[in-house]
Amino acid sequence: MKYWEDFEVGETTELGSCSITEAEILAFARKYDPQPFHIDPEAARRSIFGGLIASGWHTCALMMRLSVDAARREEAAATGSPGLDSCRWLKPVRPGDTLTGRTEVLETWPSRSKPIGFVRRRLELVNQLGEAVLAVVGVTMYRRRPAAA
Amino acid sequence: MKHFEDVQVGDVMRFGRYEVTREEIVEYARQFDPQPFHLDEEAAKASMFGGLIASGWHTGAMFIRMVVEHMTPEHATSGAMGFDDLKWLRPVRPGDVLSVESEIREKIESRSRPDRGTVKIESRIINQRGEVVMSLVSLVIYLRR
Repeated sequence: MKYWEDFEVGETTELGSCSITEAEILAFARKYDPQPFHIDPEAARRSIFGGLIASGWHTCALMMRLSVDAARREEAAATGSPGLDSCRWLKPVRPGDTLTGRTEVLETWPSRSKPIGFVRRRLELVNQLGEAVLAVVGVTMYRRRPAAA
Repeated sequence: MKHFEDVQVGDVMRFGRYEVTREEIVEYARQFDPQPFHLDEEAAKASMFGGLIASGWHTGAMFIRMVVEHMTPEHATSGAMGFDDLKWLRPVRPGDVLSVESEIREKIESRSRPDRGTVKIESRIINQRGEVVMSLVSLVIYLRR
């Protein structure tokens, strides 16, 4: 189990990769973000984006999925998040893109009232051309290491 | 259509009505945030949340749906650069009914693109009891007249 005490400032973690299809972009956007450049390939071609692009909230969802899977691999004792400092959609995400995630720990501090601690980290998703498409700074809560019996 | 010139700092907009269902919470979580308290009622009961709750990113997705449905049609926007200061303040549960309250906080003219500007909009997502469940400051791109 990886507890709050096990996170070091400067530590980086590879989150792995995922790809995104046109069908996935359309399905997410039809349900949550039905703007023409997310749901209509023809309208998207005529827009400033020059083609269909994923909703930024879809890109964030993919980052979350990579984070959850990575946390499971390292058995992190994560208990949720109070929020994010910032999120920037830096480049469009398009059908067929492969996104790779990495994170770096920026800061750690303990809760004064609960047996948990906080980790502030930067997360980045990079596409197959090496371009950063998403940059996030957010905080995650982890359980403290139980005192040795 | 409201362009960059037409929105004023201090303007407040209230809109949207989103009924949160158990099925949708679980469907979103299966795909994007498969943690036990988003997926499984029994596991969620045993967790610190005391019952099934929506992924925070799902609440964000519901927020953007309400924005696109109610605000985007009347505003000359061209997407967003992202957001700052997102807070997940309270759990969102099955049966909750969410709405949005948005306030124009700041207008920033673009020096490189004279045809557009960035508008900082603070939004609060509110449940049926009037409690703020999530808040954020979006950086929305507006076209100029």
